[in-house]
Amino acid sequence: MAKEKQDTENLNNNLKRLAEITEWFDNQEEIDVEEGLKKVKEAVELIKASKGRLKTIENEFEEIKKGIEVKENKEEEEDNS
Amino acid sequence: MTNDEKKQELIFSVSDFIELLNIGLKRSKAKIIGEVGEAKAGPTGHMYFTLKDKKDQKEGMMNCIIWKSRYSLYGIKLQEGMKIVASGYPEIYPPSGRLSFIAETIELAGEGELKKQYDELKKKLEGEGIFAKAKKRPIPKYPQRIGVITSRQGAVLADFLNNIGKFGFKIKMIDSRVEGQLATKDLLASIKTFRKKDIDVLVIIRGGGSLESLMPFNNELLVREVASFPVPVIAGIGHDKDEPLVALAADAAESTPTAVANLLNESWEEALLLVERYERGILGHFEGIFEKYRNAESSLMISFGNFKNTLLNAKINLRSSVNKSFSGFRSLLSKTHLQLEYAEKAVNLNNPERQLMLGYSIARCSGRIVRTVQNAKIGDNIDIQVADGEISSEIKKINNK
Repeated sequence: MAKEKQDTENLNNNLKRLAEITEWFDNQEEIDVEEGLKKVKEAVELIKASKGRLKTIENEFEEIKKGIEVKENKEEEEDNS
Repeated sequence: MTNDEKKQELIFSVSDFIELLNIGLKRSKAKIIGEVGEAKAGPTGHMYFTLKDKKDQKEGMMNCIIWKSRYSLYGIKLQEGMKIVASGYPEIYPPSGRLSFIAETIELAGEGELKKQYDELKKKLEGEGIFAKAKKRPIPKYPQRIGVITSRQGAVLADFLNNIGKFGFKIKMIDSRVEGQLATKDLLASIKTFRKKDIDVLVIIRGGGSLESLMPFNNELLVREVASFPVPVIAGIGHDKDEPLVALAADAAESTPTAVANLLNESWEEALLLVERYERGILGHFEGIFEKYRNAESSLMISFGNFKNTLLNAKINLRSSVNKSFSGFRSLLSKTHLQLEYAEKAVNLNNPERQLMLGYSIARCSGRIVRTVQNAKIGDNIDIQVADGEISSEIKKINNK
């Protein structure tokens, strides 16, 4: 149970872990329901955390973009005046 | 009684009578030519000599005196046999009653004598180095105060004044006789006057003439005055053959008054040319500076333009790289979304609970999942897991497919 308390804030790690889980399901010939359920639960947590993190990143990105656009517009106004 | 009768009756003392005669005789000014007989200097330096001649079988002789002050003036050493012209008047010497000719001037008569005297004096002065080139002083550059000695008569002064340039000359002129023996006295006096005047250069000018007419300019005293004059002297004395000794002693000698004027103009005209040249030089220099400035300005404008373009390009590049970064990041986000969606779908698909919800169930015998009939025996307990719980039952029958 090494991955029980994994850091879900790191999106990159989350995606890697999700890829491992989906791969695990793909390679499972004999379904281990209990293990599968655990994986599903972990994956759901990871997906939830990742979506939240992604939203935060998207919001930060939008803020940065907006900041740059405002600065550029100001500079253009100064150039034209 | 008539006046004549009264006069006839007047009785004079001898000395009074001689005095009366002398008043009359002084009016009988004349020039006489003759050969010098005996000549000797008195104790006071006055010169006593006789002049005599023979003409048309007539013979004449006259006692003559020339005062020391005059004698020294003309530079002629009276010698027996010398032919001279003396100008003056007769006078009776009261103590002896002797009639003598008081010579005011003496000059040599005949080209031969003149030439001889000229050559002798020239040789003497040459020996003293008076004409030496090394002794000549340069005519000062840009002279302003000019002293001029010449005669107001004739065209000489007009020639000089017509040709002297308008360079702000301050010309002081002393009128002097320039011909005949009396000229010597005038010239000497004029030079002496100019010694006390504040002038930059002294000019002595007259028109040309024969050796005889130029004799005043061969006077030794005059030559020495010129040679020792405090400022440079320019002589403008025309001549035929023998250059007047004054001209030789002067610092510069020109043949005409016009040439003298030109000489004085020279440094001013050169200065004028220099000023014009400098003016052109300065203007050219400034033109060059303006040209350089214009070039610098235009290259600066080009540089500014280039710099502005560079800035614009940098801005465009920056914006495009920002845009690229944005779109790259956006696609990264989309990719992440897709990855998450894919993971979500995959997880959902593989979620065993979902299968149970759909109505599938998991059968376990002794805790092992029953996948085939081989995993079960009749009489075994079987646990069936459904979505909301487990059902326990016993196996009663097994049907093989």
